[in-house]
Amino acid sequence: MSLIEVNNVCKAYRINKRGKGIPGMMANLVAPKYEKKQAVKDVSFQIEKGDMVGFIGPNGAGKSTTIKMLSGILYPDQGEIVVNGFVPYKQRKEYVGSIGVVFGQKSQLQWDLPVIDSFELLKAIYRIPQEKYTKNLDRFVQMLDMGSFLQQPVRQLSLGQRMRADIVAALLHSPEIVFFDEPTIGVDVVGKETIRSFIKELNEQDNVTMLFTTHDMQDIEKVCDKLIVIDKGEKIYDGSLLGIRERYGTTRQLDVEFVDMPIVSPIANVEVVDLDVLDGRKKRFVFENQKVQINDLMNHLLQNYHIRDISISEPEIESIIRKIYNGEVMTR
Amino acid sequence: MRLAPYLAYFKKSFLNRSAYRFDHLMGILSTCLRMFIFWEIYKALYGGRQQVDGITMSMVTTNFILSMGMEAAFYVDDFFMPHRINNGSIATELLRPMSFKGRMIAENMGNAAFHLCFRFGPAFVIACFLMGIQLPASPKMFVMFLVSGILGYGVLWTISFAVQMLAFWLVNVWSVVTIKNVFINVLSGTMIPLWFMPDWMEGVLHVTPFSSIYFTPVQIYLGQLTIGEIALKCGVQMFWIVVLYLVGDVLWRRGQKKLVVQGG
Repeated sequence: MSLIEVNNVCKAYRINKRGKGIPGMMANLVAPKYEKKQAVKDVSFQIEKGDMVGFIGPNGAGKSTTIKMLSGILYPDQGEIVVNGFVPYKQRKEYVGSIGVVFGQKSQLQWDLPVIDSFELLKAIYRIPQEKYTKNLDRFVQMLDMGSFLQQPVRQLSLGQRMRADIVAALLHSPEIVFFDEPTIGVDVVGKETIRSFIKELNEQDNVTMLFTTHDMQDIEKVCDKLIVIDKGEKIYDGSLLGIRERYGTTRQLDVEFVDMPIVSPIANVEVVDLDVLDGRKKRFVFENQKVQINDLMNHLLQNYHIRDISISEPEIESIIRKIYNGEVMTR
Repeated sequence: MRLAPYLAYFKKSFLNRSAYRFDHLMGILSTCLRMFIFWEIYKALYGGRQQVDGITMSMVTTNFILSMGMEAAFYVDDFFMPHRINNGSIATELLRPMSFKGRMIAENMGNAAFHLCFRFGPAFVIACFLMGIQLPASPKMFVMFLVSGILGYGVLWTISFAVQMLAFWLVNVWSVVTIKNVFINVLSGTMIPLWFMPDWMEGVLHVTPFSSIYFTPVQIYLGQLTIGEIALKCGVQMFWIVVLYLVGDVLWRRGQKKLVVQGG
């Protein structure tokens, strides 16, 4: 039995469809029309203890809904979820003490009070022993560099500061499992980096199990080792981060810098792109690695042209994911 | 049930209240003004007479000071739950390992305690000084008044609780809450003491929850009720607390299953 078991979970919402303007409003008043939207369709997955899983998908794919079901907020329509021996939505009160959840879009801090007061409140709610509380707080505050704004009311914090405070708030009681729903949204580059390294360190040192949704692929590349991709409520990939490259990232590109201005004759199955640098002396050759042998291509180029420099690159995870979202690669 | 987390919320909401000092000064002022306006109106209506239908002006004044004072102290946030449903923050609330209802009570009580000390307190002193209040009928009646006052708060709170739970289905409950508040304002005796209602209506009102919020404690304070009547009226208060709480609780259980978290 895995730490997190999700079996054939479905969840649908009823959405009010309303015409535009005043006529639409009147029609809606008399006979409202509803549409059923299947947010999550028959999703199953397992997560083991200590895993660091990226959970991605385009907007509206059902990520947040899944996270909310996992954290006991929403009831699934069908299927079952077991986390750490609990059924979240049935045993909410007992269960939520062992998890931490960060909603990037929703703060759990007290708006009018200084950050430290919110933490003190959480200490009372989770019954955190004084010693553990001080230890955790000191450690997190130092790791996330929060000393300067602990005494400020939350309403006067910047978004990045608030996000860091929210992350600490979810972790003060040392949960074994943490769900992050877009923890880096709206945070600047430096802030993102701080948050990522913090999350990674916590996963590695304390063996905290984490599920992580984001739209920033760098988050995924730097932090996660496993990946679950869902789209339109259905799971389309579940495996390692490397695996997704092997499976879908079959495109390779070769950047070549020529000594002179070459006239490149077409090569079968290879697309040639002019890079607008070095007066057009640099060109990119894009191809599928199943169709073209890289050795053959390199030999061909070296024999026929004067070449100064050559470099090969794999596609970024981001471009692979973009292709998956766009339906450009077959996922089944 | 462990009390510590709830006490923490009690304390938090008490502290939260004090964040806006100007608001609370204005609160004292508005309570005093309300008492004063109604006092003036009734003084004019009495037109110098000692009593009307056996009700003296000083009883009416006492009714205003007590019931409006209680109104100021009996803080209930009608939008505690609807607000959280509307903006989706119900999600983070449900992440706490504690009862949401218990939390709701704790926060309201924290606010009520603040209002009792810093709104009812000053307004009461000012009003007594300006208008004069009758002394309680007897020390025993004063104690009964306090007990019945607490039960009155219970009734007020459970009415609001039941109405708030409709937010699971309606999302926007502003209109329902407003209707509820009109009923409370008119029928609970704060604006029109129930003595002046037609007899048949007074009879009807005594079995509704509205009259048991403020008017029952006031009647006890003035010594208008016998011990037997007091027991009966407090029984009515407890009856409504239980019934309304159960209604709200059923709605809460049903609603949770169909909860939709708004916004992302």
